[in-house]
Amino acid sequence: MKAFMKRFAGMSILFLALGVPALWAGPDQPDVAALLQRLDGMTNFTGDFTAEYTEISQHPGQQPAVYRHDVYRRDRDGAMTIIMRFPDAQKGQGYLEVDNNFWFYDPESRLFSHASLKQSWQNTEAVNSDFFRTTWAKDYAVESWSEGTLGIYPVYVVSVKGTNDQVTFPFKKIWVRKDIGLLLKAEDYSLSRRLMRTVYYPQYLQVGDHYVANRMLIVDNLNVGAKTELTIADVSTAPLPDYTFTKAFLQQVNR
Amino acid sequence: MQYIVLAFRNLGRQKRRSFLLGGAIAFGILVVTFINGFAGGLAGNLEQNFSQLLGGEIFIQGVEKKASGQRVELITDDQALEAAIADSRIPVRAITRSSTFVGTFFFHNNSAVQAVVGIDFAGSSPLRNRLSLVQGGFDGMADPEGIIIGQQTAQRLKAQAGDTVLVQLRTVTGQMNIAEFHVAAVSHDPGLSVSFAAYANRAYVNAQENLPADACQQIGILLRNPGQTDAAAADLSGALSRRVTLLPPLPKATGGNMMGSMLRQHNENPMGAMMADLMRQAGEGGYQGTRYRLSTINDILGKLELPQVIGAINGISFVILIILFLIIVVGVINTFRIVLNERTREIGTMRALGMQRGGVRSLFLLEALLLFLAGAAAGLVGAGVLMTLTSLLSFTPTTPAFLMLRSGHPSFVVSPAQIITPLLVVGIITMLGAWLPARRAAGLKPVDALAAVH
Repeated sequence: MKAFMKRFAGMSILFLALGVPALWAGPDQPDVAALLQRLDGMTNFTGDFTAEYTEISQHPGQQPAVYRHDVYRRDRDGAMTIIMRFPDAQKGQGYLEVDNNFWFYDPESRLFSHASLKQSWQNTEAVNSDFFRTTWAKDYAVESWSEGTLGIYPVYVVSVKGTNDQVTFPFKKIWVRKDIGLLLKAEDYSLSRRLMRTVYYPQYLQVGDHYVANRMLIVDNLNVGAKTELTIADVSTAPLPDYTFTKAFLQQVNR
Repeated sequence: MQYIVLAFRNLGRQKRRSFLLGGAIAFGILVVTFINGFAGGLAGNLEQNFSQLLGGEIFIQGVEKKASGQRVELITDDQALEAAIADSRIPVRAITRSSTFVGTFFFHNNSAVQAVVGIDFAGSSPLRNRLSLVQGGFDGMADPEGIIIGQQTAQRLKAQAGDTVLVQLRTVTGQMNIAEFHVAAVSHDPGLSVSFAAYANRAYVNAQENLPADACQQIGILLRNPGQTDAAAADLSGALSRRVTLLPPLPKATGGNMMGSMLRQHNENPMGAMMADLMRQAGEGGYQGTRYRLSTINDILGKLELPQVIGAINGISFVILIILFLIIVVGVINTFRIVLNERTREIGTMRALGMQRGGVRSLFLLEALLLFLAGAAAGLVGAGVLMTLTSLLSFTPTTPAFLMLRSGHPSFVVSPAQIITPLLVVGIITMLGAWLPARRAAGLKPVDALAAVH
């Protein structure tokens, strides 16, 4: 009898350890992998995308710096072109992402040089990849998740880890609205898991079936007081000529 | 022999004039030898100081191309390289391994950009002899997270030994990372290049760059005879080519602006600029595995445009030499013209007593030769004394030109050619200057010379 009781107690502990979380995870548990796919699907366009981006960057002890540029995207091909509009000193400079190569064009020297999507954008808290299509499902895997609220919105708080050593930020924590699956906040962590920057997405613009975060606030958690506010205007999904995603286009813009 | 005695006597008759002309020759030789010696010492000191700071006179850098096509600055397996070094039989004093990144340092609300070189501090690192510390000590590098930062970086961060700083960097694959370093010491900036580099432990730097702990990005070879760098590099290049894929040598610095821009991009660290250049080179062509490139301290000094600086000093020396030579040649011609006028009757007497034309000419030329020899000897001795006295001057590591000095002292190196060439030129010019008056003196008719009235 004693042996049976011991076995019963052991089985009960095993059941509690394995079974209860499984039950709890049951039908209400979101498919978090699908959540990442949904994020990509909502923000990446099937057709072409054009918009004017403005960044206002503030650093302690410095005057705010303003940058304005046009972004042309063809997400299905992984292509992007950026043309600088402001400040005047950088007007005409261009960037081209095509065939997994990121080029910088300097109209003064008329030369192209290799750049990286991982590089910081000008003297701001943004990185070049912030303007590019998202690759949540391909580049990140869920480490853990929980439920919470952010402001008035019930959210999933998901910790993700890079699936390769190519992603700019190896670890991220994201706050995703439960109802429509939009990203509201992201914390970007270094390889040593230190918080580097926090990105807020307070405002979205719906364009057809897709969403564009037309306001973003990027806070530098390392350089305290440094932040960049990013606004997106003149969004268009009109088809773009193939020529837009060529080096010749960057050269022609400056003629 | 008789002519030599006569020539000595003639020079002694006008002591002041001889002293001034010989002094001018001596001064010319002294200045040119001193400047040449300074330029020679400068080149040697820069080479030696940079070699110790960078851990080698010869460097091997590696770029590994992964299956994904991505290129990574990395040397994981150095057995083939070590075997090639052994094959080449070059005189190796020490082999160093290092990894480097450029990071942004943060301390409170202050930030500074600085290259960080990961080296092995255990044992007798050549860096210990070269790096002069303002605060802290090398003992602090026993801490795996220890770092030695430059004085200007420390001032910008308002950090000191014992503080913990955060450094934002990118891994070899470009990922963001933040590392925590403990400031073990603050070093004097070695001059020329502002805050040349911070130094940390290689294993910790590798961990931050996401490299294997025992890997490195560069192997440095310190030679027992640094003067033979190019010859040793050529031998090693041949040995390496037989064992690994060696990329073509580093392009020589041709455009000052381009190199300046490269160095600015890489925080004035020439190794960063060279690595960026290597990455571009290694990207060409489809291949797998690791490619290597051999470079020397002279390539780095070339990137820093130091040969141009030394060339400019040599150029100044040459211009001074020309000016001094002009003064000497004018002085010699005038002096011997005066001598000719003063001694016309004496020449007539000597000619009347049987001295041949050639004898008169030889006497004049012999006087010029003796004047030159005395001046040259005095100039060389003076230059030696001046160089010895100058090399006794001691400068602190805060001196902007500390990298040009040898352990804080100016040093001078004059090659035999740098001594012989000016001597030959001054000698020939002196003789040429004396030749015309000597010819005129030899051409005098005894009767006319004896009748001459002054």
